[in-house]
Amino acid sequence: MNIAASIKTELIKTKRSAALWIVVLGAGFVPFIMMISYLVQPKQNIERLYKNNPNPWIFHVGNIWQGFSVFLLPMFIIIVCSLITQIEYKNNTWKQVFASPQPYSNIYFSKLTGIIVMIFFLFVLFDLFTLGAAIVPNLFYSKYGFLTHSFNWRNFLTLNLRTFISTLGIIAIQYVLSMRFKNFIIPIGIGLACLIATLIAMGWEHIFKIPYAHPFLTMRFHEVKKGVLQNHEWNAIGYFIVFTTIGFFDMKYRKERG
Amino acid sequence: MNESIVQTDNLYFSFKAGQPVLNGINMKVPKGSIYGFLGPNGAGKTTTLRLLLGLLNNQKGEIKIFDQHLAHHRIDILKRLGSLVEQPSLYLHLTGYENLEIYRLIYNCKKQRINEVLEIVGLTTALNKKAKQYSLGMKQRLAIAIALLPQPEFLILDEPTNGLDPNGIIETRELIKRLNKEFGTTVLVSSHILAEVEKMATHVGIIHKGNMLFQGTLKELQLMQSSKSALEIETSDNNKAAALLNDIPELSQTDTAIIIPYKNKNQSAAINRRLVENGLEVYALHPQHNDLEQLFMDITSKGK
Repeated sequence: MNIAASIKTELIKTKRSAALWIVVLGAGFVPFIMMISYLVQPKQNIERLYKNNPNPWIFHVGNIWQGFSVFLLPMFIIIVCSLITQIEYKNNTWKQVFASPQPYSNIYFSKLTGIIVMIFFLFVLFDLFTLGAAIVPNLFYSKYGFLTHSFNWRNFLTLNLRTFISTLGIIAIQYVLSMRFKNFIIPIGIGLACLIATLIAMGWEHIFKIPYAHPFLTMRFHEVKKGVLQNHEWNAIGYFIVFTTIGFFDMKYRKERG
Repeated sequence: MNESIVQTDNLYFSFKAGQPVLNGINMKVPKGSIYGFLGPNGAGKTTTLRLLLGLLNNQKGEIKIFDQHLAHHRIDILKRLGSLVEQPSLYLHLTGYENLEIYRLIYNCKKQRINEVLEIVGLTTALNKKAKQYSLGMKQRLAIAIALLPQPEFLILDEPTNGLDPNGIIETRELIKRLNKEFGTTVLVSSHILAEVEKMATHVGIIHKGNMLFQGTLKELQLMQSSKSALEIETSDNNKAAALLNDIPELSQTDTAIIIPYKNKNQSAAINRRLVENGLEVYALHPQHNDLEQLFMDITSKGK
């Protein structure tokens, strides 16, 4: 059986699903609020945008990204992981999936791919909304000057890529939990509890070992540390490999499937 | 007809140690049969079927489907069969067509096959409606359509008529018979209603509390029933007839008739001949059947 077919079925399953709507909502939330603010209070916002830097994009992107990556991004990942696996639980379709001629690895990794595609889509939408939140107010108030200043694409895409990598640990852990528990409140509850505990412990010296802190750390040190990947991003990749493996064997050797 | 599609050897399963749900099941589903898997709720029917599909990890015993070990050839086996376990497995937020498309991709069949299975189950008009809006009967038919996608040689249907109205029950039954007849599909269908199985099965397996109490053709089951039934004989001279038949064990006599254990039609004919040849007029010769329902109760209560 080829994995491409399995992945394709996973993408069909997300059509019109709650997970898809959550992604659109999650990507639009912060940019939308920002855009409203720009439209309503142009004077104060222009002041803020130019306070520390002659290029307004730097403050705009930094500000909007900060509001997103610390709490909302991990939260939406937690919810998306649960909603995608819930499609099977809610419809009682696991049994049909497991009774179809697909290797367990196809079932497991195609669903994981489905989640990653969703989160990738979340990033793309968020980026578009981030640009839109600046450009739309600019059409009404040209003093914002977004169109007359250069946009640092390279920096923007690196920030995207690094943040995406930093979420891999959360994705893997939440995927394992969401596959394990039929009741979606459990993985969401555990995930949010971990996330909030992480936010409280943010000053801790070992915080870079905690997956739920990784997107925040990327945001915080992105400007400071250049180079390939930072420590916590390597950690995120490590967590991803470990938990994905655990989850796979947990599913494969479970006594009861579907 | 001797070829088996399914053969299990001493299948044993327990969810909790010491409380076996299945206790040494030897199931044999002959090729080309409609095998009715009968048992009251909680007897172990679904557990057996889930084991056959690899949804439960086999603990003890062996499962062979298409003469291949399930443990080593899971994918090869699953490619050749279709299944419907308990309630229909459908993505309610997707249309009927999209539901089929998902499994079409997995079974790697041609697009055209979707129309074919929709035709077989009679659902061609509703394919662009969301499954959410389907009636239970339609959901059931869509689930059967999914099971039919790979043109399976073998269909496993777990209580396919559960919750359907009488019309739906008849339609499903006719569909099963038609698949068996037209496409030679072997069907393993579980049910807790004897009358339903009787109307379509060629073979029957009766399970109770994890034990297989009976397995054989429907005829054999009916024969077994006949061993418990009696033949009532009325003649012009019952006393003379009784004396004539005194070699038959368990013969008894009432005011109007002689009663002997019933075996089969040939036995009736032989007795008739004997009586007539000895100058007796035979007025009536009729077997008195226990109904199958009664038999089922007898067998299952024996297993307690």
